[in-house]
Amino acid sequence: MVGGVEGLEKNGNEVKMGNGRTAKLYELLLRLLALALTLVAAILVGVDKQTETVPVVLVDSLPPLNVPVTAKWHYLSAFVYLMVANIIACSYAALSMLLTFTSRGENIILGSMILILDTLMVALLFSGTGAAIAIGLIGYHGNSHVRWQRVCNVFGKFCGQVAASIVVSVIGAVAFILLVVFSALRLHKKSK
Amino acid sequence: MASTDKPTDPEHGKEIPPPKPEVPAAAPPAVNCFVLDVALRVLLFAAALTAVIIMVTGEQTKLIPLLGNRKAKFNHSPAFIYFVVALSVAGLYSLITILASTSVILKPFFSKKFLVYFAYTDVLILGLVASATGSAGGVAYVGLKGNKHVGWIKVCSTYDTYCQHIAGSLAVSLFASVVLVFLIWLSIFSLHRRPSAPPL
Repeated sequence: MVGGVEGLEKNGNEVKMGNGRTAKLYELLLRLLALALTLVAAILVGVDKQTETVPVVLVDSLPPLNVPVTAKWHYLSAFVYLMVANIIACSYAALSMLLTFTSRGENIILGSMILILDTLMVALLFSGTGAAIAIGLIGYHGNSHVRWQRVCNVFGKFCGQVAASIVVSVIGAVAFILLVVFSALRLHKKSK
Repeated sequence: MASTDKPTDPEHGKEIPPPKPEVPAAAPPAVNCFVLDVALRVLLFAAALTAVIIMVTGEQTKLIPLLGNRKAKFNHSPAFIYFVVALSVAGLYSLITILASTSVILKPFFSKKFLVYFAYTDVLILGLVASATGSAGGVAYVGLKGNKHVGWIKVCSTYDTYCQHIAGSLAVSLFASVVLVFLIWLSIFSLHRRPSAPPL
């Protein structure tokens, strides 16, 4: 690994890309996009709360009792994980944007660190959305085999908001994928 | 950096011939990197296969009062079906890339192009495996702990060996995603190194 880093350092000075500035601009825009998307996804989950009155029949002869039931985002650990993953990705996107913006020229160690962390963010965001989708599906359809009732017929707005957050978070994860692909492409071009 | 890097990998010794004499002096690190690549891909294949097998064989029938014999199987939950499909795709993908990587070791002509393609597809497969692990993990967690807010009862107290199978499968697939992360780093760091090698 160390040898590889030195190899580029030696070479980075000789091989100067003509469109280096444009590439950096695209990367910054992509990071800004990832930052915005993960922020929106985290906020969508974080403010998600719905209170519904559910009629409960205690005795058949009496009229049904209206009980208020609340659904909050922190009741299901998968949604907590989704929000934490989005917050981590969001703060990392802000930090990496700041570092990319302030660094002048080719900083190899910083570039490698950012690349490593980008890959980790892809994994983190995808596992978070995967968990939330799986739990959301059980919420929509229930699971008759283990007798888990569906809840989205009662909490429609809550489920819709989580679904929106999942969609936004998947797009954010794709932005991080593009960032990794982008740096591989740049290295490929540079080495030509 | 290892200077004496004849491919002495014990488990792939049969498929890797000694490096060619016409390869220039600076090339051995690149060859070595592909040997590591093949080793990691074999590991990925083994992990994906193990995870699928453990998940599919996890099946338990229990006598539940009032309900009779109830069976727990992986295809009762869409998350576990997705997990099996995703890990199978990852296993198939790793099999194909083992062949591709081995062909690069035999003919180092294409190596740079292959490295870039590997970096792209590896990231996609990482997304696939991570989301599969996440979804199966999310469902398994509810199965283990239950959720009293939405009235989902815990099922792992009933189906104990079934849940052990799922837990083992999840651990192996987590390992597979770690291997994939290492593969991506390896591809990209060998692209870093590429410029110092002579033009191929």
